[in-house]
Amino acid sequence: MLKWTLKNLIAEPWHLFASVSAIAGAFALVMFFEAVFAGESKQIVAYIDHSDADVWVMQKGVSNMHMATSFVSDWKAGSVGEVEGVSKVTPILYLNTVMQAGDKRWFSFIVGLEDEGQRAGPWAIVEGKSIPAHHEAIVPSVLAKITGLKLGDEVTIAGHTFNVAGLSDNTFSMANSITFITAPDLADIMSTIGSMSYFLIDAEPNVDASELALRIKNEVEKVNAIPKERFVNNDWNVAMQMGTEIIGMMTIIGGALAVLLTSFAVYSHTIRRERELAVVKALGVQNRVIYASVMTQATWLAFLGFIMATAMVWLAVPITASFVPQVTLHVTPLGLFRIGFTALLVALISCIIPVRRMLGIDPVHAFSA
Amino acid sequence: MTTPNPVLQAEHLVKTFGTGHTAVHAVNDVSLKVIPGELVVIKGPSGSGKTTLVSMLGALLSPDSGSISIDGAKFTELNDVELAALRARKIGFIFQSFNLLEALSVEENILFPAHLSPGGTRAAQSRADALLKKLNLEHRRDASPKTLSGGEKQRVAIARALINQPQLIFADEPTGNLDSQSGQEVMMILHDVARDQGCSVVLVTHDPRVEDIADRILWLEDGALRDRKSEQHSWVKDPVCGMRVDEWTATLFAEHQGERQVFCSQRCLEKFEANPDLYLIPDTEGPGKSAL
Repeated sequence: MLKWTLKNLIAEPWHLFASVSAIAGAFALVMFFEAVFAGESKQIVAYIDHSDADVWVMQKGVSNMHMATSFVSDWKAGSVGEVEGVSKVTPILYLNTVMQAGDKRWFSFIVGLEDEGQRAGPWAIVEGKSIPAHHEAIVPSVLAKITGLKLGDEVTIAGHTFNVAGLSDNTFSMANSITFITAPDLADIMSTIGSMSYFLIDAEPNVDASELALRIKNEVEKVNAIPKERFVNNDWNVAMQMGTEIIGMMTIIGGALAVLLTSFAVYSHTIRRERELAVVKALGVQNRVIYASVMTQATWLAFLGFIMATAMVWLAVPITASFVPQVTLHVTPLGLFRIGFTALLVALISCIIPVRRMLGIDPVHAFSA
Repeated sequence: MTTPNPVLQAEHLVKTFGTGHTAVHAVNDVSLKVIPGELVVIKGPSGSGKTTLVSMLGALLSPDSGSISIDGAKFTELNDVELAALRARKIGFIFQSFNLLEALSVEENILFPAHLSPGGTRAAQSRADALLKKLNLEHRRDASPKTLSGGEKQRVAIARALINQPQLIFADEPTGNLDSQSGQEVMMILHDVARDQGCSVVLVTHDPRVEDIADRILWLEDGALRDRKSEQHSWVKDPVCGMRVDEWTATLFAEHQGERQVFCSQRCLEKFEANPDLYLIPDTEGPGKSAL
């Protein structure tokens, strides 16, 4: 019976291809949205992730970096450095603001680096310097590609002009871009003296980050200390809150489209085989076997659609990166699993209408000439 | 000599479609018995209820009243699942338009009903091989139904109907889409099935050649059934219109002054009933019952 089901499915290869392609299109849409969201989310926490501090110290009451403001007196770097288990403290200044390049404006996270900027600076350089000097900025290479910026060109940050001294990789997303300047330049922009925003803490070997964060909070007044993993999660959750509804809506639309297309494909398959279904019913095949057959066909259609969609998105990732560099796509195993599970649900839901139709097929129709 | 127990027995079958003025009595109080190995032909004009009757006998359609039993077991009270199982094990169907499963090969089509029998396809494989050989389809074993001639398709359909060794085969116009040679071939196969394998065959057809091989011919008209051998005609004249009517197959009668009158249509019957004397003028040439 399974042989009949599967052979029926492939009996008309072009019809099968058209059905699978349509379903794959819907799944690819969902996957694409997921990949964009995953890519953007990843980029939002890219700085925290790549700077790889064990613990982050910030102003009390602050618990994340994305869209946040934090001020900690710079002398507290010394206090934090005296806490048992702390190997190194790297202070940075940080500001969310608009950067202008030519006639284009971009929302940007500006990181102010102290003299020893390597620790908290850009982690991948495409061209130029990695550590900015006075009135110099290291900008994302994607931003340079979009705006046509070159080394030596000028950008404006909050009314202050900087020369582009380096182009960094992996520091751009649609939600934010990361630009590095010196801490004194950023302090000048922020009109602040004696304050930093965050301390990046490196722990001594074999020191637990959570315990170290707790010790810092207990021993240094008016600061919050969070281990890296939790700090990444906090920022990621903020990003999720900002994008979940949109991406959720898009996923629902894409999923609904997939249900509709799979339903239509299975339904049209059932209609085209109505006479044959009447014949097999007349021969003694029971309804439950035919339901199973319809479900098997729907599951195969959804599965093939899912595989084709995965291939489409896999191809789309490098193509998108070439033609639309500002969009970061990231396909995660969890995302694939989620959409695979959705495909299974889609297959089951899409059977409802064809199965209802099948109920009405009378085996007597087998006698119709 | 004792009469063998009937493999199929139907009693007082009634099936009406629609209600009120639009009601059509497709089958009206039909009873019949078919014994093992018997080849019964059901004939009748289009719309006489042949397909409805065969659908009920084949457990595809429930009668409004009456009972049907196969091999002594009544099936008119079985549910859909039990009926499907009964069809799979005890009944074979042959259709006018072959109704082969297009996606499967010849051999797979033949073995398809075997999935529904207790032994499955493994037990049926040797029977399939024998049927392929007997019906001269061995060389077409792996062919797609699309590539077969009409005669080959119908032979595959016959093999499919026989694979589970049913007690009964229902064939609906099996020669309707075939040329005369293929039609003859199919008829002879069905004849052999009945004679050699003891499988009863109920055949609905307009094909006059079948009358030569049939054990019994039943005539169905306006839902009513009667036995008739083809050569048995009793021609009488409709007293209203004067048209020749076969009394064996006629269904419209009226008794008047102790004599039975036969009519070709309801209209003639109604006209007669309104004023019978008008149509019964003693006249050697006039209307009235007379052998032709």
